[in-house]
Amino acid sequence: MSDQVLSRDDLPVTTEGDVVTVRRRAQAVAQARGLGTFAVAAVTTAASELARNTLTHGRGGDASVEAVARDGRQGVRLTFRDQGPGIADLSRALAGGFSTARSLGLGLSGSRRLVDEFDIDTTPGKGTVVTVIKWARF
Amino acid sequence: MVTNFMHRLNIDDRGLASRRAFFEITDEDLARLATHRGLAESHSGEVVEKLYHLLLGHPESRAFFPDDSSVRRVKQLQHTYFLGLFEGRCDLAYVENRLRVGAAHERIGLAPQWYIGAYGRYLRLIFDHLFGELGAAEAQAAVQSATKLVLFDMSLAIDTYIAANLDTVARHQAAIREMSTPVIKVHQGVLLLPLIGTVDSHRAEQIMETLLMRVVEEQARAVIVDIAGVPLVDTMVADHLLKTTEAVRLLGAQTILTGISAQIARTIVQLGVDISAMHTRARLADGIVLALSLLGREITAKAP
Ligand SMILES: Nc1ncnc2c1ncn2[C@@H]1O[C@H](COP(=O)(O)OP(=O)(O)OP(=O)(O)O)[C@@H](O)[C@H]1O
Ligand SMILES: [Mg+2]
Repeated sequence: MSDQVLSRDDLPVTTEGDVVTVRRRAQAVAQARGLGTFAVAAVTTAASELARNTLTHGRGGDASVEAVARDGRQGVRLTFRDQGPGIADLSRALAGGFSTARSLGLGLSGSRRLVDEFDIDTTPGKGTVVTVIKWARF
Repeated sequence: MVTNFMHRLNIDDRGLASRRAFFEITDEDLARLATHRGLAESHSGEVVEKLYHLLLGHPESRAFFPDDSSVRRVKQLQHTYFLGLFEGRCDLAYVENRLRVGAAHERIGLAPQWYIGAYGRYLRLIFDHLFGELGAAEAQAAVQSATKLVLFDMSLAIDTYIAANLDTVARHQAAIREMSTPVIKVHQGVLLLPLIGTVDSHRAEQIMETLLMRVVEEQARAVIVDIAGVPLVDTMVADHLLKTTEAVRLLGAQTILTGISAQIARTIVQLGVDISAMHTRARLADGIVLALSLLGREITAKAP
């Protein structure tokens, strides 16, 4: 499925401040695409979670925030890339409640529930790429 | 104050030796300058006058000298400063003295531009006199020594200025942090913490500490945390809220979360965060009513 990309911002994710920048960008694009307030809150929160994972677990990386369209539907696509340790036990990380950082361990599983499409590509020792999309309602 | 800067700039015997070495100031340089002290003394008055001619000739720098008496006072200091270059020493006492200059400049807000320019004039004035009155070879050597020492002084003044400036920024940041975590006593035993803005880890720590101190001070039984001004609640913010609630509980008080928007409520549910350790109310007003009822009190209408 190829989506039409209407705009794209590439942002670094190397500091706490970058996490805030990425999530503000995601929020602005989501609003501009016409997503409703609940969907905007959902994708903004997912952006915050995934960017923070890139920063803390992936040892930093970068993010793309894109405005996308598919079959006339408007959406936001977020991609987070890092060259960190990767996730050894993906199904456990996605199940929720598991954290290697003595945190709640809900960011990854929660983000998955907050968005419409969720894709994760992780290789132990190589890094992780997470791509999510949130669509505006018709 | 100045001692503090000595420490901040890492100036002890070793730090000083290393700084001196980098500016290539040798004992010969200092001894050479000392031999020209007589010359310096006879021209010091004129050098200082010409320096202030520059400083008072520009409205921006002039503004730092409000009246004649302050001009007289700084000229006197400048006199001592100038002769200091020809004392033949560059020890800790010398540095301590020089650091006062940078700190004083920062205090009055005189930016490096003005004193770097002033140092420039200083050097030219010193050159003129040395070349005018000494043989070429001797003047050349003296100029080199004087340049080293003046640049050394300049580095101290700028480093102090920056360090003092950083102190000011840190003080302001602390003040802003304090301001952004106001803990309000709404009633005997009831505290309110209105959170506003992005809650990062650093701020969260600060908020928790401030709140816990107040809970103890006020012997609070209920704490209302209002998040109406928080843009989003992700797992990190939720985690901080839960940890705060747990710590507050250990002190014998209960936490009530208010100001939850419909969007944030739904997001929290989707994230799967369990916030049942806190009481929750959508509106702050309802949170206050709940807090009072937890204390066995209630708000009632006045009898007619
Ligand atoms: N980009 C990543 N690189 C490496 N490991 C990751 C990455 N993202 C997640 N993980 C792993 O998956 C686990 C679960 O992630 P999740 O975001 O759900 O929880 P968390 O970050 O530990 O805590 P939080 O609830 O605060 O998000 C992490 O503890 C970490 O081990
Ligand atoms: Mg996480």
